[in-house]
Amino acid sequence: MLRENMSMALHAIKSNKMRSFLTMLGIIIGIGAVIAIVSVGDSMRNVFTDAYKDVGLNRAIILVSWEVTDFRNSDYFDRDEMERVKEVFHDKIAYIDTNSSADTEAVNRLKKVKYEFQGVDYNYTDVQPQNIIYGRFINEADVKKAANHVVLEDKGAVELFGTADCVGRTFRMTINKDTQEFTVVGVYHKDLSPMAAMLLGNGQKQAGFIPDTVVSPKGAMSQVLNFYVRDGVNMKEFQPEIVKYIAKTKGRKESDIRVMSVVDQMGSVDSKLSAMSAAVGGIAAISLLVGGIGIMNIMMVSVTERTREIGIRKALGARTRDIMIQFLTESALMSACGGVIGIILGVAIVMIGGAVLKTTVIVRPSVVVMAVGFSGLVGIFFGIYPASKAAKADPIEALRYE
Amino acid sequence: MWKKKEVIPDYITQNISEDLIKLVDMVKIYDTGSIKVLGLKRVNLTIKRGEFVAIMGQSGSGKSTLMNILGCLDRPTMGHYFLDGIDTADLPSDDLSAIRNRKIGFVFQSFNLISRTSALKNVELPMTYAHISKKAREKRALGLLERVGLGTRYEHMPNELSGGQRQRVAIARALANEPPLILADEPTGNLDSASSVEIMELFSKLHNEGATVVLVTHEEDIAAFTNRIIRFRDGSLVSDTPNIPVSKREKEELQEPEHQSGDALC
Repeated sequence: MLRENMSMALHAIKSNKMRSFLTMLGIIIGIGAVIAIVSVGDSMRNVFTDAYKDVGLNRAIILVSWEVTDFRNSDYFDRDEMERVKEVFHDKIAYIDTNSSADTEAVNRLKKVKYEFQGVDYNYTDVQPQNIIYGRFINEADVKKAANHVVLEDKGAVELFGTADCVGRTFRMTINKDTQEFTVVGVYHKDLSPMAAMLLGNGQKQAGFIPDTVVSPKGAMSQVLNFYVRDGVNMKEFQPEIVKYIAKTKGRKESDIRVMSVVDQMGSVDSKLSAMSAAVGGIAAISLLVGGIGIMNIMMVSVTERTREIGIRKALGARTRDIMIQFLTESALMSACGGVIGIILGVAIVMIGGAVLKTTVIVRPSVVVMAVGFSGLVGIFFGIYPASKAAKADPIEALRYE
Repeated sequence: MWKKKEVIPDYITQNISEDLIKLVDMVKIYDTGSIKVLGLKRVNLTIKRGEFVAIMGQSGSGKSTLMNILGCLDRPTMGHYFLDGIDTADLPSDDLSAIRNRKIGFVFQSFNLISRTSALKNVELPMTYAHISKKAREKRALGLLERVGLGTRYEHMPNELSGGQRQRVAIARALANEPPLILADEPTGNLDSASSVEIMELFSKLHNEGATVVLVTHEEDIAAFTNRIIRFRDGSLVSDTPNIPVSKREKEELQEPEHQSGDALC
């Protein structure tokens, strides 16, 4: 009987192709929009997640809270303190620095390029591998001697020297109010998808690495310590341990010490993004409602047109239920067909968008399943009234209908 | 479809009574809201298994009302209608559907085939509602189309068939579930006289093979094919007479041009 109903429904849909298609269009657009929007949202989240992974999921900074009212000089960290923390927690912490950076302008003859150099220790690549294409990364000797050596990103190198292959070239820049000559020891390349670049807002400044001993020499103060825990160390479990230690050395309450980990931040951004994509998806789902009303409308027309057929079927022994199921199958099938076409459309839009923006796109299977299920439900729900109208028809009246 | 086992009461599926149709003091009143119209007045009537009966009357005589009640499309207001021993007066509409499906084969004036659906599928329809398997349905429907002389046209749509052919499909459909009663409402009303004769001969053949055929008509020529003529006037049964079916010679007479009155009388 199910197969019989399906073939009858298919027959009815096929015998009015244009009308069926126009009716499905509402569902097609609705489902297509929901899939596209939710998938774009998911892809954006993915870009952010990747960006955070870029920053390092096992990274955190620790500082004396900005909320304390009596901020003291001793609340700053200096290099010695950093070294001590490194010593104490050497089995937990893989990398630590004073989170120093130099915001400056690199000058090569007449060429001036704005740069933001990140001060790093020589083992930075242990926690953040870099794709070195020319030369080498900052090494231990550079850091120890506070050598004026830098590693540039390839596109910044091109801007400054006209070529990425510029190892050994020199330029001048001012760090800590002191203008000196610097030598390029390496060039790295970083892949960033257009979408990620757009979302993360890669500004005007070029990027590069410099020994942190150059940017923050002995005696310089830093408000925060930047560290990466070793693989297998749980950040959440480690936090109280380091907080306790820092609180003791700074003579502060533990509640005055803040640790901000990338994982925590990512969680909060992720939940905001997913809430946003759910909200927009919800708005798109309203169009499904409109599509459902379209189906109901056409089913009403269909029931009226086929009054005589309903009369014949009833005379030949169809029960109320049989007629009801026949029309419900028709509306559900029409809606589900629309849903499937909508999915194809939505996925196509997302794929094309992803190809254009060179971004990996994600279409969650659960979203697809929900979309089909929902469109089927829309069909059944909006089919109930027309179907029951058909089922309740009086066979004598219906047979007389012209 | 909801995996619910279909339970058709035994009394619907078994043939239990020699009196196929039995009307006892049957009254039908139409309640139109403001006025009540008496459709049928105290009708008492018995039709036995295997009879070939014509019910005659002018429009407004109550023959259509009777037809609807005999066809279980409507219920009597008072009195009883026993179809094959089943009192249909108090049955719920789904049971009436089951009775129509198993006990009655309908043939209508306007054929009432489902459009854009092949002759084969049309014949299969009553069997679909009787939950007969697809294979068995197809086999039986093909056999029935063969029997009414349309064995090669099973794939044709109703609009590709002539009036007479359509009515043959309808008759094949009426026979689908082997119902004890064939109920034909003005079956030749939309046909030319040649086709009319063919259709009536088909009914005669079915009758000779043992079927009970009740047909409603206002044409004497058509009623002449039957064994018994029951006349109605103003909602009352006025006469019930046996009839000797027309001979072969008279049938030929009916085929002559001056007798083409089928459509004119509609």
